Amino acid sequence: MFRLEAKKPSLCKSEPLTSERVRATLSVLKGVLTSCYGPSGRLKQLHNGLGGSVRTTSQSSALLANLSVTHPILKILTTSVQNHVSCFSDCGLFTGILCCNLIENVHRMGLTPTTAIKLNKHLLSLCTSYLKSEVCGCRIPVNFSSTQILLCLVRSVLTSKPACMLTRKEIEHISTLILRAFLLTIPENTKDHIILGKSIIVPLKGQRVIDSTVLPGILIEMSEVQLMKILPFKKSDSFKVALFRVSLSGDLSDTGEGTVVVNYGVSLENAVLDQLLNLGRQLVGDHVDLVMCQKVIHPSLKQFLSMHHVTAIDRVGVALMEPLSKMTGTQPIGSLSSISPSSYGSVKDLCTEKFGFKWFFHLIPNEETVCSLLLGNRNDTVWDELKLTCETALHVLQLTIKEPCVLLGGGCTETHLAAYIRHQTLNKPESILKDGWCTQTELQLTTEAFCSALESLTGSLEHDGGEILTDMKYGHLWSVQADSPSVVHWPDLLSRCGCGLYSSQEELNWSFLRSAQRPFAPQPCLPHEAVGSANNLTLDCFTAKLSGLKVAVETANLILDLSYIIEDKN
Amino acid sequence: MARRGVSRRWHVGLQQLASFAHAGSSLLGPVRSPKFVVDGEGPESVLVSSAARLLERLDLSSAVGQLLREAVRAQTDAYGTGAGTLLSLAGAWSSAAAECLHLGVPVPAIVSGMSEGLATCLEEVVALQVPLHTVCDQTDSTQMPAGPGPVGVGVGPFPQSPLGAGLMPKERGLHGTAPQASATSSFSGTPGKSAALFRPQAAAGTDNDPAQTAPTPRTSLRAAPGCRKPALTHSRHCCRAGGAPGTTGRPGGGLEQRAVTPRAHTCKDLAELAAGLSHGDASSMTLAEAALRLQRRQASVRQGGGAVPLTFDVSRVFTCCLPGLPEAASCVCAGFVTAVSAAGTPVPEDVQNRPLRVVLIEGDLTENYRHLGFNKPARAQTVSESTETLRQDGAEELWADRVLQVLAQFRVHLVLARGSVSERLVARCARSKRLLIGWVDGTVLQAFAEASGAAQVAYVTQVNEDAVGSGVCVAFWSGPAGGAGDGAGSRAIVLQAEGVNLVTAVLASPAAAQLQAKEDGFWACARRLHHALQEQTVFLGGGALEFLCLGHLQVLAEQPATEGDRVRSGGLPIAAAPRPAACPALLRPTVLRGLASGWRQYLSTLARNAAGRSSAFEAETFIQRHVQSAADSGSPSSYVLNEYSRLSGGILSPGHSSHPDGGPRVYDTVTPKVEAWRRALDLVLLVLQTDSEIVTGRGHTQVRPQESEGFLFL
Repeated sequence: MFRLEAKKPSLCKSEPLTSERVRATLSVLKGVLTSCYGPSGRLKQLHNGLGGSVRTTSQSSALLANLSVTHPILKILTTSVQNHVSCFSDCGLFTGILCCNLIENVHRMGLTPTTAIKLNKHLLSLCTSYLKSEVCGCRIPVNFSSTQILLCLVRSVLTSKPACMLTRKEIEHISTLILRAFLLTIPENTKDHIILGKSIIVPLKGQRVIDSTVLPGILIEMSEVQLMKILPFKKSDSFKVALFRVSLSGDLSDTGEGTVVVNYGVSLENAVLDQLLNLGRQLVGDHVDLVMCQKVIHPSLKQFLSMHHVTAIDRVGVALMEPLSKMTGTQPIGSLSSISPSSYGSVKDLCTEKFGFKWFFHLIPNEETVCSLLLGNRNDTVWDELKLTCETALHVLQLTIKEPCVLLGGGCTETHLAAYIRHQTLNKPESILKDGWCTQTELQLTTEAFCSALESLTGSLEHDGGEILTDMKYGHLWSVQADSPSVVHWPDLLSRCGCGLYSSQEELNWSFLRSAQRPFAPQPCLPHEAVGSANNLTLDCFTAKLSGLKVAVETANLILDLSYIIEDKN
Repeated sequence: MARRGVSRRWHVGLQQLASFAHAGSSLLGPVRSPKFVVDGEGPESVLVSSAARLLERLDLSSAVGQLLREAVRAQTDAYGTGAGTLLSLAGAWSSAAAECLHLGVPVPAIVSGMSEGLATCLEEVVALQVPLHTVCDQTDSTQMPAGPGPVGVGVGPFPQSPLGAGLMPKERGLHGTAPQASATSSFSGTPGKSAALFRPQAAAGTDNDPAQTAPTPRTSLRAAPGCRKPALTHSRHCCRAGGAPGTTGRPGGGLEQRAVTPRAHTCKDLAELAAGLSHGDASSMTLAEAALRLQRRQASVRQGGGAVPLTFDVSRVFTCCLPGLPEAASCVCAGFVTAVSAAGTPVPEDVQNRPLRVVLIEGDLTENYRHLGFNKPARAQTVSESTETLRQDGAEELWADRVLQVLAQFRVHLVLARGSVSERLVARCARSKRLLIGWVDGTVLQAFAEASGAAQVAYVTQVNEDAVGSGVCVAFWSGPAGGAGDGAGSRAIVLQAEGVNLVTAVLASPAAAQLQAKEDGFWACARRLHHALQEQTVFLGGGALEFLCLGHLQVLAEQPATEGDRVRSGGLPIAAAPRPAACPALLRPTVLRGLASGWRQYLSTLARNAAGRSSAFEAETFIQRHVQSAADSGSPSSYVLNEYSRLSGGILSPGHSSHPDGGPRVYDTVTPKVEAWRRALDLVLLVLQTDSEIVTGRGHTQVRPQESEGFLFL
């Protein structure tokens, strides 16, 4: 029986951003993101409230994946941040907070959305062209002949994730490992374009961070008992490898809806096993030394292979298939019928490794572009965080090889950029005002909204009531602890700027970031000697930050542009 | 999604952590008071006597509780010891961190100050490391039973170690000689049966007999060449070079003081080491030590009587719990011991006490078992012209026929399976004088595969001549030598093979509830011994470590708070200063005192547990007095070394300060201890830095109104 029900009318709300509730939820979300930002950011415990596992994190990707937001405006915001993070891994919180700040500021100053959107676009293009130009004062070119800048970049990623619970010594150790793992993925002989290899993160949960290490090749975890069964390996210079994607467990293919009818006395299992043994004979005849299977290998086939001194490894798992095929040069085999000789590959050597109480089967490749990063940390929650951080750092390095420059971190890029924009719109407003679609005042107000959004973003680096200052020469960020004496000689209280490039011993003028800013032209073009000597800089990934900036402004524009929300209630 | 903020001044997470830890405070140290955990709704109750077991039983559904449980489980999995320390310090440090917050210290300053403090303490305690390079088993050859077999070391109900003497002087007085007697009798006696039962073994044993019965000193020298090295007198420089590089540039010339190090600290005897590591559980340690000796003897036999390094492979040690037998029946046996239920596995007379051919099955031994990853076709029908052949139970009969046929063909009389075994098959095998044993651990199968030459197979159809092993003997377990296990009857069977690398500790207790605790105690001792021998160093324990940390922090905290840079270069080595933001100099003493209060609380809990509540105050004044004099002496480490016996005596047996020569030493394992500290501090700092909980998957409707206070919704 069908029953027809009248459709409910859709719900239409106009001017969603003016509603008090929307602003309140937006500020809750902003509060969550802001409190996580930076090296002294606060952590969040994510759990289901019913005794499930607890994730302690301050990273946007983990946070947003678990936040279920209901309001469409928040959904737009979180989705665009998540999209950014899935492409660039880093700068997710930056994007989210900047977007919230922009929306808030435009509202607070009572600007008309259409003008603000147009001007925001102009200001964004000012930013991107400055960041990409040669005179940019907050960009450092990367010199790949030394590891200094790359190490600083990795270290900055690690220090900005406090939930990894690393000491300084451990940060040094892990940054070196990450850099080494990254370098191992770069092929030695390159032609026109480089195809990077892969670093696989292997868990050593519960062990010390300092015991983490990097090995070339692939490690497959096995129990000691299983490993003892396949020992010893024969001695050889090269091992011929066959890699199976199809299950060799001897089960029948799925019959779907149909039914198989067999005569009594006919065993389907034996028939399949015979087919498997035929396959085994072919492998032995082709002089294969190592058979690996994503799924399960039938014990009888394993026994047959080991009798002919062929090592058989099963249950490799889908995650390792691509790197295995890449590293050994095999074509994963998808059928039980005859195998083309071109699908075989090779490895240089096989051995076993033991770390803590875990045993591994280790494949050593001929050409090293795949490596394994064995990562330890004290318990599950901090291990998960460290793994995510290492993936971010590896991705950031890959992005840096494409666009070989980095931005100054620690908030210095943001304050510098804000100072630059203020100066530009004050001194050269002609380019924007020439079409006459906005007034000088509107331009000044939007600039103020844009720049203070950037500046209050850097203010979120401070979580314990400290003050943020900026200098009037470079436009860098300086922070002071809370409860500092009010009248002081600044150089005594400040030591280095946020990114660590400049020291307070220079003759500089400081002003509070919150107070009204006197526009000045920040000094462009970094001095080369300054970059060369500074060993401990805080750096940000250029590509990720630039994209974060674009995504934040464009998302803010999109949200400001919304005039109706129509909800289908059916 | 809901979000709950955590108040800045009164951190709920830290309070929860402190209260969880308080529940476990009576389970710390050598003298423990076990707890009964009672199910409020049912009749269930469990006896717990370790922190790890307690946490398993507590309802820790809050996020902080989960993190605590996770940390303790990770520690237990990795080291098997140190859970009590972790729990106690996590509690003490979370109160300390809460106190710092209350005093207005910002969170990053607490984080960096505490981790810096712990890092310097870890460098400082290197001074208390005792090298074990020269340790050897002085009783190596004398205590061996004359013949191999399921004989072992009997454990009397009373602790025999000197440590036990220190702890329970009264009982010692009452039962002065009893433990000695029982120990000797179990060593010397060999049951008449066993020599005959294990013929291949007995032959091997006779070959080695002269070596075994030779007088102590010469054989032990020959057995362990390591002993011939000149004994290292103290060692702190070596330890520093090997362990943690980086010197502490202490004000006041640390080097000078180090040069006049008071005593040479070495531990040369395995028995002394074991007693020091027993931490009050002498009976478990006696078993663990016996297991170690048995394992070394097996290794020595395998290598033809040569020297074997002093290590302890706990992965080849198993336990078998037998409830209902007296505690004296506990012993250590070579081979694998498994309990048989009264009605269960029939053991045919014929298979006992003679070498058998064996097949090892790495799965279940049932008709419908298929290897992992095999999917049975869901839609397959079998058709036949005659009807009676299709009966279901007929299939199992047929399968059993085939299995028996294979077993007969290869003259196999013993099958060990990793999974379950078909009961019908067991019954039919018993009729044909064959024994099937299920639920055998994978490592045991591996050990028998190595010893008997068998290969593990998944199906009986895979059995061929190469897969069959030989020389495995089966016998009923007869209890420890000396008749302590009377009534052991046919409670358990022993599987043995020549050269098998397996040791089983049989744990017996009249009360079944106690068995879990006994098993945990055995493993804790075994793992401690394992780590100590693996790392070749131990710490001087019994509270000395914590004392040193207290003294050291006191010195650091009293340093004048001058400019940040000067304090950093004077007090803390650069490498040890962790995490980006260094702790501001003005707040450092407050934070370091907080860190110190953690260890102070740990020590007073130890003392309180050892002496009863009455003298808690006394213990605290005792600690305070010595910490002050250690700090005043200028070098806390030499103070602790000089005053070691008085300190550990004062903590572990307050009120009995009558140890003129200091009594026995107590040792602690190095990495497990240090890691427990690190884990505890990490947990506290993780909770401290958390400002809100995000509860996923719960909207407005699911949160009950009474608890919705403080929630924000998105």
